[in-house]
Amino acid sequence: MIQLHNVSMSYQAESAALADVTLKIPKGDFVFLTGQSGAGKSTLLKLIYAELSPTRGQVVIDGANVTRLSRKEIPYLRRSIGVVFQDYKLLPNRTVLENVAITLEVLGWGKRDIGKKVYHILKSMGLEDKVNSTPLRLSGGEQQRVALARALVNDPKILIADEPTGNLDDENKEQILSIFKEANIRGTTVVVATHDRRVIENSHRRVIRLEKGRMVEVPDVQG
Amino acid sequence: MSKANKAVRPKLAQEGFFGRLSYYSSRAVANLRQNVFVSAVTVGTIALALLIASLFLLVYVNLSGMAEGWSDKVQVTAYFDAEPAPLAVAALKGRVQAIPGTAKVLFVSQAEAEKRLRSRLKGQESLLEGISAEVLPASLEIRLDRDHRDNESVAAYVAKLKQIQGITEVQYGEEWVRRFNSFMNLFRLMGALLGGFLTITVLFIVSNTIKLTIYARKDELELLGLVGATRFFIKAPFLIEGVLQGAAGAVISLLALLGCYFAFLKNAGDFLGINPASAGLSFLPPSHLAGVVLGGVLLGFIGSATSLKRFINI
Repeated sequence: MIQLHNVSMSYQAESAALADVTLKIPKGDFVFLTGQSGAGKSTLLKLIYAELSPTRGQVVIDGANVTRLSRKEIPYLRRSIGVVFQDYKLLPNRTVLENVAITLEVLGWGKRDIGKKVYHILKSMGLEDKVNSTPLRLSGGEQQRVALARALVNDPKILIADEPTGNLDDENKEQILSIFKEANIRGTTVVVATHDRRVIENSHRRVIRLEKGRMVEVPDVQG
Repeated sequence: MSKANKAVRPKLAQEGFFGRLSYYSSRAVANLRQNVFVSAVTVGTIALALLIASLFLLVYVNLSGMAEGWSDKVQVTAYFDAEPAPLAVAALKGRVQAIPGTAKVLFVSQAEAEKRLRSRLKGQESLLEGISAEVLPASLEIRLDRDHRDNESVAAYVAKLKQIQGITEVQYGEEWVRRFNSFMNLFRLMGALLGGFLTITVLFIVSNTIKLTIYARKDELELLGLVGATRFFIKAPFLIEGVLQGAAGAVISLLALLGCYFAFLKNAGDFLGINPASAGLSFLPPSHLAGVVLGGVLLGFIGSATSLKRFINI
């Protein structure tokens, strides 16, 4: 599903953010991407959803070589990838329902279908009472779940999350991780970037470790 | 990645041109509601900028009309060495009328000339003792079309007039025509310069205001791109917002202009003594009003389009 071949990435006048990274994440896999701050985790995720283009190497997503996609084709790639951003990227002047609906509006869904689908996913995340609230009125955990709902509402092939448990308490972390697992059971390939050791240890999933832009350890799938 | 790979969609409510337009329009209206303050700032800026521009236009149109009125004084008088016979007068008038640029021809007989002189010198009749009508020449008083009142045209006209048999002298106030035309050229140049500067200033202020308002919503633009929106999907509601804001700004500016007009300008012509005979300044004609509204719409549209270019990076 996700393949990186000898990928290097460097920002202007800086040392390489990623250096010669090669990896394969099969369809339906659940992978943790870990490493210190600045190790290149976010850069690798951005390469997957084509916010960045590698300086060298190839990125292949679901059979499509991202590095060769034209600007017009990139939106169609992004529609099959749900992303949970580190800072959530919720729009403060829109309601929870409108924030989640954006993903489906982009796909051209009708209003009634959007309403049904969004309500359904918000209910599954325990947010049905917050449909008409704005993000600023929600707790950190609730905001994270809204961001997750927005990423999952169109049943994407791939789910990417950048430090999704960063500012959450244990209860909220558990809740978020169980949502990832459910999505994975439904067939979504999940890639979670985190430096939270406890989350990784409790999950028993494959881990990809990055250190100063290089992959240092790729343990086998653990279950 | 082909379009066939995109996620399966159930029922599409926005299929077809009108469906999409309806979606983009409703999104634009929702955006305006959700960003009331920012939208109000944009509309206010466009309204103020257009009010200044349309005030200038109002004054320019009125002054221009007034100055054009002065050019009515450009009159050519052709004198005859001997008074033509009554039957010949019609033929002469016809020949003059046939010269391109002639607007109106009036024959002034020697008797009529004397009558005019006497009426002008009323109270000083003693000056006219011993003067009979024969002393004064008969003449044709000719008014020219607006397009033939500049120096070159008048000179060419006079040359043609002199070719008519019986006409011995032609007078047309050469110096006055020259000065008047110089004044009109200066007036038009100043109008074009001021109008040009004003247009640039309005464009600059409005485009920067729109840029700032779009900058305030750059997170929204970024997010839309990240969830797979095409460039057109992101831009369309913003462009419609720009058009709506431009149109609203233009209408507000015209209402304010109408207010200013009735409060201060309608009788300003009399008050300033520019032209005591005039009935005051007139309001902008409908074509100019439509131009202001169109200008507002274009300002909103172009301002949004150029600003969006900067903030959409897909």
